[in-house]
Amino acid sequence: MLGPGLISGFADNDAGGITTYSLAGTQFGYGLMWALLVTAVALGITQELGARLGLGTGQGLGGLIRERFGVRWTAFAVLTMLAANLGTTVAEFAGIATALGLFGVPVQASAILAALFIVVLLGRGSFGRIQYGFVAVGIAVSVAYAASAVLARPDWGHALTSLVVPGIQPSGAYLLALVGVVGTTITPWGQAFIQSYIVDKGLGPGDLTPSRIDVGLGALLTNLVAGFIVVACAATLWTNGLPINDAAGAATALGPLAGTSATVLFGVGLLAASLLGLGTVPLTSAYFACEAFGWESGVHWRWQQAPVFYGLLSFFVGFAALFVLIPGLPLFPVMFLAQVFNGLLLPIILVFVMLVSRDRRLGPLRGGPVLEALGWLVTLLVSVMSVGFMVTLLLGFSG
Amino acid sequence: MPYLSEIQHRNVLEPSGNVAGRLADVVVLPKEQFPAVQWAVLAAPGGEKVIPWSELIAEVSHFRLRTAPAGIRAATLPPEALRLGRDLLDKQIVDTHGAKVVRVNDLQLEETAGQLRLVGADVGLRGLLRRIGAEGTAERMAGMVGRKLPRGIIPWHLVEPLEAPESSVRLTVPSAKLALLHPADLADVVEEMSADDRRAVFEQLDLETAAEALSEVEPEMQASIVADLDEQRAADLLEEMAPDEATDLLQDLPEERREELIELMQDEEGGDVEELLAYHEDSAGGMMTTDFVALPRDLSAGAAIDRLRELKPDPELAYYLYVVDGEGRLDGVVSLRDLVVADPATPLVDMVDPQVLKVEPQTPKEEVASLMAKYDLLALPVVDARRTLLGAVTVDDVIELILPRGWKKRSTRPVAR
Repeated sequence: MLGPGLISGFADNDAGGITTYSLAGTQFGYGLMWALLVTAVALGITQELGARLGLGTGQGLGGLIRERFGVRWTAFAVLTMLAANLGTTVAEFAGIATALGLFGVPVQASAILAALFIVVLLGRGSFGRIQYGFVAVGIAVSVAYAASAVLARPDWGHALTSLVVPGIQPSGAYLLALVGVVGTTITPWGQAFIQSYIVDKGLGPGDLTPSRIDVGLGALLTNLVAGFIVVACAATLWTNGLPINDAAGAATALGPLAGTSATVLFGVGLLAASLLGLGTVPLTSAYFACEAFGWESGVHWRWQQAPVFYGLLSFFVGFAALFVLIPGLPLFPVMFLAQVFNGLLLPIILVFVMLVSRDRRLGPLRGGPVLEALGWLVTLLVSVMSVGFMVTLLLGFSG
Repeated sequence: MPYLSEIQHRNVLEPSGNVAGRLADVVVLPKEQFPAVQWAVLAAPGGEKVIPWSELIAEVSHFRLRTAPAGIRAATLPPEALRLGRDLLDKQIVDTHGAKVVRVNDLQLEETAGQLRLVGADVGLRGLLRRIGAEGTAERMAGMVGRKLPRGIIPWHLVEPLEAPESSVRLTVPSAKLALLHPADLADVVEEMSADDRRAVFEQLDLETAAEALSEVEPEMQASIVADLDEQRAADLLEEMAPDEATDLLQDLPEERREELIELMQDEEGGDVEELLAYHEDSAGGMMTTDFVALPRDLSAGAAIDRLRELKPDPELAYYLYVVDGEGRLDGVVSLRDLVVADPATPLVDMVDPQVLKVEPQTPKEEVASLMAKYDLLALPVVDARRTLLGAVTVDDVIELILPRGWKKRSTRPVAR
C-alpha cells in the first residue's frame, strides 16, 4: 500500500522536479549530487515532523498554526502557502503543455484539456484511484532514467564521490540551481500534504512506525530517482557540453535507452508526473486554507456547502491555465523558476512547522531533541540559502 | 454585547489613572448554561496576575481597577477553569446543533443582571474579519452592494469544547451533549477529531450509542479507532454491532489483532463473525448479517408474534420473516403484514410464500444490489446449495454500496434526539 510519504515522493518528481534535476545535471554535471543527498535527509526529517504532527494532534498544519498563532499569523502562513503552491500549479500546467507540445498539441489546447481533466477527476472524486496509474508511469520513467544513466556509461567514481564532496561553485547560476533543487524536493505543499493525508485517513499514535518507514522510503526514493536523472543528464549532455533550452533537449538524456523514442518516453513521463502533481497540489492548498479558517473542505461537499474550498480550487486551476497561455511564455524556464520560488518561501513554512512541533498534545509523539535540533538545522540551512540567494540577486551578481 | 477580541488586550488602569497592565485573558467556570466571567488575567510588568472580574470597571476604551493593584489578592484558578483566549479562541469545538466540528473565531459575551456571561461562539466570517480589524470595512463594502454580512454565532449551550492543549486538564469528557447526537451525526463529528479525542469518545459513551456510531464511521477510520481502543472495550463494541458490520470492520484489521478480538468476543457473536469472515467481502456472503429472523414452519401465527416480541429484531430485519424446516432449509417468507392480519391459530406453513427470491453466498454484490432495487426488497435471504438459510442482506448495506462515496456526508440536517 502506498502511503503519503511515497505518494508525495513521486509527486515531488513532478514537472518542476524533472526539469530542475535535468537542468542541474546538464549545467553542473555531478556538481549538485551532494545537494541531493543532503536534501534527501532533510526531506526525511521535515516529513517525519509533519507525520508526527498529524498522528499526534489529528489536525492539519493549517489548523495547528491557527491554534498557536491566531488569525493574523495564520493569514500570513496561508498566503505564503497559497503563493508557493500557485507557482507549483503553474509549473504542472507548463509541464502538461510541454509534454503534449512534444506530440504537436498547441499550448492552448493543452491548457484547456488539463483544466477539464482535473475538474472532472476531482469533481467525480476518482482521483484517489487514478493516481496509482500516474505513480506507475512515474515508476516506469524513473526506471527508464536509471537504465539510461547506466547505459550512458557515466563516470561512476566521479558521480559517487560527488555525493559526499560538495562541488560548490561560486556563481549565481549555481546558487539558482541549488535553490531550485531544494525547492522542488522539500516543498511547502509536501509539508501540508503529509499531515492532512494522515489526518484524513484517521491514523493515530499507533501508526508512527509505518509512517516513519513510509516517509523515509519516500525521501530516499525521490532523491534516488533525482540522482539518476542528474547522472543521465550529466553523462549525455554535460560531458558533451550541450545546453538544454527546452523539453526536446532534456529528452535526449533518455537517448541511451530509448534512442529515437526518447522524446516520446520523456513526454509521457512528464505528462504523468505533471498530472499527479496537479491532482495533489491544488487540493492540498484548498484543504490547508479551509482548515486554518474553519471552512468546510472536501470533495464530498456540494458547491454551496463549501464555496471557499471549491472557489480556491477553481482559482488555482483557472489561474494556472491562463498563466501558461501568456503569449510567448517560455514554458521550460517557468517550470524551473517555480521551484526556485518554492525554495524561497520554504523557510517560512518550515519555521511554522518547527514552532507548532512544540505542541503539548504530541506527548510521546513529539520528536526527541535530536530530531528537533535537526529540524532547526534544516530550517536554518534553507533560510541561509534563500536569504543568500535574495542578497545575490539584489546585488546583481545573479548572472 | 462585547466580543472577546474587542476587550482582550485592552489597557487596565489603576484608580489613579496610571496603566496597571493589559487584560490578557478572561476566565469562566464552565458549569452553567451560560457561564459567568469570574476572573480576569492581568498582564502586568511583573508577570500575569489573576484577579476577580468584579475588581474591573469597564470604561470606554479601557478598564479601571476599583482598588490599587497592590491591595488586590491574587486568585488561583481551579483546574476546571476555562481561559477563553487560551483555551477556546482559535480552537475546535463541537457544534452539537449542527453536528460538526468548527473553529472558534471569536467569543460573544453579554452583560445580564450585572454579570458578564459567555453566551456564544462566533464561528462565522464576521468573527474572522473582526480579528484582523476589518469587520467595519467589510460591512460597509457589503452594504454598498446591498448585502449584509451573515452572522455565525452558536449559542454556548449548544457548544462542546474539544480540548485545551495548553491547560493542564483535559476537557474532553464526551458529556451528555455529545451523547444526545444521533449516532450517524456523532460519527461525522468523531471523524473530525484527533485520535485521542476519538478514543475518549468511544471509551466513555454508553456501549449501544458507541457501537451504533462506530458502525457509521468511514471504514478506514473504523479500523484505526478499534486499533487504538483497549481490547476488551473493542470486543464489547464489536459484539454490540450487527455481525455483518463487525465483520467488515474486522476485515480491515491485521490478522493477529482480528483473532485476538474474536477470541475476546462472546462465543455466539464471535462465532457469527468467524462464519462471515469466510466469505469474500464483495459477495452476498460478505454483506449478509446472521441476525435474521427464522421461524419454524409449524409455528402458529400467534406464537410467531410472541417470538418476535422476544427477539426484538432490528427494523430492517423485522418485516420479512423466513420460514424454515426442521433442518434450517428455507421454505419461504411471511411478511409481517401477513402475520399480523392472520388468524393467530394458522400455522406458518399455510401462509408462507414459497416463491421467495434468494441468492447464494458467492453472488456478487452488484447483482444483489440490482435484485433488491428491481424487486423493491428490504432484505434478501442467502442460502447455500442445500437451501440452508445462512443469512440475509439488508437494504441499508445496499444503499451504502449504491451511494457514491462521500454523499452520506453531504446531509447537513442533523437529527435531534
